[in-house]
Amino acid sequence: MSMEKISFFDQIDRNRRNSWILVVSIFMVIIVFSWVIAQVYDPGFTFIFLIFGIIFSLIYTVGTYQYSDQIALRSVKAHEASGGRYRHLRNQVEGLALGSGMPVPRVYVMPSSDINAFATGKDPEHSVICVTEGALEKLSDRELEAVLGHEMTHIRNYDIRFVTLIAVMVGIVSIISEIFLRSMWFGGRSRNKGGGNAIFLVLGIVLAVLAPLIVRLVQLAISRRREYMADAGSVQLTRTTSGMISALEKIKANYELGPKTKVNAAVAPMFLADPVKKRFSNIFNTHPPIDARIETLRRM
Amino acid sequence: MIELILGFIILLVLVFVVVFVYYYNRIVVLGNRIDNAWSQIDVQLRKRADLIPNLMKTVEAYMKHEQKVLIKVTEARASLVKAKGVEERARAGNMLQDTLKSLFAVAENYPDLKANQNFMKFQEELSDIEDKIAYTRQFYNDSVLFYNNTVTTIPGLWFASFMTKKEKPYLETPAEKREVPKVEFDV
Repeated sequence: MSMEKISFFDQIDRNRRNSWILVVSIFMVIIVFSWVIAQVYDPGFTFIFLIFGIIFSLIYTVGTYQYSDQIALRSVKAHEASGGRYRHLRNQVEGLALGSGMPVPRVYVMPSSDINAFATGKDPEHSVICVTEGALEKLSDRELEAVLGHEMTHIRNYDIRFVTLIAVMVGIVSIISEIFLRSMWFGGRSRNKGGGNAIFLVLGIVLAVLAPLIVRLVQLAISRRREYMADAGSVQLTRTTSGMISALEKIKANYELGPKTKVNAAVAPMFLADPVKKRFSNIFNTHPPIDARIETLRRM
Repeated sequence: MIELILGFIILLVLVFVVVFVYYYNRIVVLGNRIDNAWSQIDVQLRKRADLIPNLMKTVEAYMKHEQKVLIKVTEARASLVKAKGVEERARAGNMLQDTLKSLFAVAENYPDLKANQNFMKFQEELSDIEDKIAYTRQFYNDSVLFYNNTVTTIPGLWFASFMTKKEKPYLETPAEKREVPKVEFDV
């Protein structure tokens, strides 16, 4: 028991620290990119490029961070779980919030026959839990409770904030590299200074290609531990492993048919089970394989 | 030399003050958390008590021959409303839950009642409240565990005894609690 407590406090600390590191690296990336782009086009404008980069990233970061929950909910076409039909769902979420001594998250439902769920928001006071219609239909009470407990743990551990910041980072890097790669086609002719610029050009291309990949890998490596922690948190909250195990088994069975709903890569790490179908199996996974999760739960 | 000793003493006092403030606040905060957890339980107990008069109205028409069960529920509710203090209220809450359980068990013999929309709604609502009570009780006991760990281990123990704070009792959780409220009505 006390071991569990210690480790979740550790996780919260880790998330707080990593969130800061991420915010700082977002700005570093922006500055480096602005500088590289300036060098490629005209070093005389370095200062202006930097200012632009910083203003742009400030607006983008604050904006997406502030409205991340709405953006995510809208991108999956979720609606609020209001009315008598979802009363039991709301009650279940409220129960779990009471059990973990946290504010009650808002509850949303997304139209999809997949069994899935995610939590988002910048902190527990502004948190949202969203489940698919498929999960409501196909999961039993116990299983749904375990799934909601998993999402609740993401909220308590501040995973939601970190994952939100990661989505911001992924967004910003992809925007910049997009701008950069596109402008290469147009900028090509006007550059007639030759020589030194070629190095920066190569550097720019390498950065533009590598950065999104690096960001993605960081994101993936980190979110796997989060999933194990959230499974454990769900067990701690619901005091049983059986709900989570059978929920995961159902998800797996449902999955072999292939996920039906397309989900944006930026929000994929938020989900209970990876909603993106992929060809590569290992390093590109945001989630540990379901079998490994079931195995870990069985050992608890 | 004198300055060195003086400096050392001041440092010791400072360290002591910092540790004292830390533990004082910690024990107070953890104690408050327990009080807060209790008030959450109480909210749910009240909600349940409030539902019962209307439930009885619905049920009475169908279960005329089950006066004993009905009276027991009404009595249990009355004693919950009267009960004061954590332990007494918790016990009264458990009593009420048991009587409700037997009420719903008896209701199984009345198909008309079981099909009644109102009754079904009550059953569902009461079972959700029961779940919430189980969760709030769990959080209460978690909070007590945290508090007790702090006031029974060194150095928290020293500060706690200075503050005359003692270990707090856990709320009893009847073994089958989590199962009981799930009155399945498969139709």
